[in-house]
Amino acid sequence: MMGLASYLIISTILFICGVIAILARKNIIAILLGLELILNASALNFVAYTRFLNNSIDGHIFSLFIIVIAAAEAAVALAIVLRFYQIRETVHIDDATQLQG
Amino acid sequence: MTDTIVSYLAKFGPFKDLLEFLTESYGANGPTLFAFLIFLVGVIIIVTILSTIGGLGTYAERKISADMQLRMGPNRVGPYGILQFLADGVKMLMKEDIVPKDVDRLLFFIAPMLALTGVFGTLAVIPFSSGFTLTDLNVGVVYLIGISSLVGLAIFLGGYASNSKWSMLGGMRGASQIISYEIPIVLSILAVVLLSGGLSFGVITRAQGGWPHEWFIFHNPFTFIGFFVLFIGSLAETNRAPFDLPEAESELVSGYHTEFTGMRFAFFALAEYIEVFVVCGVTAALFLGGYQVPFNLGGDTIWGQLLQLGAFFSKTLALYYFVIVIRWTLPRLRVDQLMTMCWKYLIPIALFNLVGAGVWMWLFKGKSLFVLLFKSGTAAAGIH
Amino acid sequence: MFDLTLFFISAVLTVIGAIMVITTKDLMHACIYLLASFLGMAGLYLTLGADFVAAIQLLVYVGGVVILMVFAVMLTGGPHAQKQNKFGMIKTALMGNIRTYTIGGLTAVVVLLMMVKLYISIFKNYTAGELPNYLPTVERIGKSLITDHVLAFEISSVLLLGALIGAAIIARPRKNRIN
Repeated sequence: MMGLASYLIISTILFICGVIAILARKNIIAILLGLELILNASALNFVAYTRFLNNSIDGHIFSLFIIVIAAAEAAVALAIVLRFYQIRETVHIDDATQLQG
Repeated sequence: MTDTIVSYLAKFGPFKDLLEFLTESYGANGPTLFAFLIFLVGVIIIVTILSTIGGLGTYAERKISADMQLRMGPNRVGPYGILQFLADGVKMLMKEDIVPKDVDRLLFFIAPMLALTGVFGTLAVIPFSSGFTLTDLNVGVVYLIGISSLVGLAIFLGGYASNSKWSMLGGMRGASQIISYEIPIVLSILAVVLLSGGLSFGVITRAQGGWPHEWFIFHNPFTFIGFFVLFIGSLAETNRAPFDLPEAESELVSGYHTEFTGMRFAFFALAEYIEVFVVCGVTAALFLGGYQVPFNLGGDTIWGQLLQLGAFFSKTLALYYFVIVIRWTLPRLRVDQLMTMCWKYLIPIALFNLVGAGVWMWLFKGKSLFVLLFKSGTAAAGIH
Repeated sequence: MFDLTLFFISAVLTVIGAIMVITTKDLMHACIYLLASFLGMAGLYLTLGADFVAAIQLLVYVGGVVILMVFAVMLTGGPHAQKQNKFGMIKTALMGNIRTYTIGGLTAVVVLLMMVKLYISIFKNYTAGELPNYLPTVERIGKSLITDHVLAFEISSVLLLGALIGAAIIARPRKNRIN
C-alpha cells in the first residue's frame, strides 16, 4: 500500500485541487491557498521519488527550496493583497484591472 | 545513551522477559506492541502529571500574588487551599456551556482543542531525564517550535470565531505577537544548536554538564545574552505578563477567551499554564543543563533517573516561579512598544548573538569561557 | 504496521483537507482545512523517511503560512466581505459560482488526463525494490547545503531578504496616494 503509486496519486489529487481552487475561486486569498496546494504537491513528489527511485538527498533539498520559495511567495503575495485592499477595498480578482498602484 | 523511554526500559531484566513473552505470543509484532504499550503508559503518565502541574500553576499564581500583595490567597479547600484547582475544575465542568449567537461553530469548537493539541504535542520531545523522554527526535527543536505555534493559531481562531469585538482584538494581537516573537526565539535557539552541533534535545543536554559553569548560559557572553532573549521571547509567546496583551483585562475584558465558558475556557487556561511549564522546561534544557546532575550521580540506575528528574523539575519550577513573579511585578506594555521591543531590540540582539556565537566557535574551537580562563587547571575547569 | 497507520491517517487528512479547501464556502474554514492538509503532508514526509523536511513543513507552513493567510483574511475585511465591487457591477460571489467551478473542473479533467498519461508508464513498469532503512537526514542535508548546493542556499537567503523588504515596503500604508 505504501508504494510509489499511492504517493503519486495523493500528490495528483493535491495538484488537481490546487488547479480547481485557482480557476474557480474569485477571492485572491483563496487563489493563494490553491497555489500553496500545488507547491506542496510538487514537494511531495520530490520526496517520494527520493525514497523510491534514488536515495540521493537532492530531492529533499529541492523540497526545502520549494518550501522556502512558498513562504517568500506567501509573504509578498499577501502584502500585495493588503495593498490592493487598501486601494480598492476589495479582494475580488476581477477588480485588479490596473497596473497603477 | 538512551534515546527513548522504551530503549531505556529495554535494558532491564523483567522487561526483557516481558518482551520475549510478547514476541512469542504475538509473533513478529511483539517489540512493536511492547513499544506501543510503553509509549501509551508514558504518555498517560506525562499528560496526567503535566495537567496537575498546570492546575497547580493556577494555585501557585494566586498564592504567590497573594504573598506579594500581603493577602491570604486561597485557603479553604484542602491544606493551605492546595486543592483549589480541583474545585475550580469541578465548577468549570458544572457550568452551563454557552455558545453565543452567530459564532462560527466549527472554529469555536476547534480552537480550544487546537490549543491543547499544540501544547501536548510539545511534551513528546521534552527531556525530563535521560531515560524518561518520550522520544528524542533528531529534529526535536524544530518540531517543538513548529507544533507549539498551533497555540497561536488557536488563540487567533478563538478570537475570530467568538464574533465579538473584544475577542477579535485579542486574537489579532495574539497572532501578530506570536508571529513576531518567534523570530528572536528561533535565532537564540540557533546559537545553542550551533554550540552543541545537534537539533535534538538529547544532544543539546548531553553537550552540557551538571555544574553551572558547564551550562550553555555561562558558555560565552553571547549565550548569556541569548538566554535572556529566549526568556523574554518565551514570555511573549505564552502571553504572560508583561506581554499579556491578547487578554489584557483592563482593555479587552478577557481577550480572546471572553466568550468561552466551562470546559472550553478551562482548555484555554490549562493550555496556557502547561505551555508556561513547557517553555520553562525548554529554556532549562537548552541553557541550564537540563537533567544533568553533578558527577553524573546515580548513572543509569533508577535512582539516577530520579535525581535527573529532580534536577530538571527544580530548574523548570524555579523559572516558573520567576515567570509568576514577573507577572505580578511589571506593568503591561503597549502594543506599539511590544512591536518596537521585538523588531528593533530583540531581533538585532539575537542576530548579533548568533554571529557572535559562530565567531566564538571559530576563534576558540568551541571552548567555554570558563575553560579559557582556567586553562592551566583542568580539574578546576571540571572536564570529566 | 505503525508506518501503515501513520500513512493512512496522513493520507486521509491530506486528501480530505485538500478537497474541503476547494469545496467550502467560507474562506476561514478553507484556511483551517489547508492547515489539516499541511499536517497530513508532514505525516507523509515522515513515512517517506524525510524527517527534516517534515519538521520544516511544520515550522514554515503550520507556524508561518497558515497564520499569515488567516491574518490576511482578517485584514481584508473577513470572509464575509462585500460580494460586489464599489460600482456594483460584478455580482460574482467571491468564492466562485457554478460557471467558474465548471471551468475549473474541465481544466482539472484535462490536467488529470495529462498526468495520467505521464504516470501510466510508472504505474505499469515500476516495481518496488528493496527500500532503504529510515536514516536521519539532517547531517546529510546540512553537508549537502554547504557543499553541492551552496549557491542555491545563498541565493535563497537573498530571495528571503528581498521578500522581507519587499513585503514591508509594499504593505506599508501610503495615505496621500489613496485615490
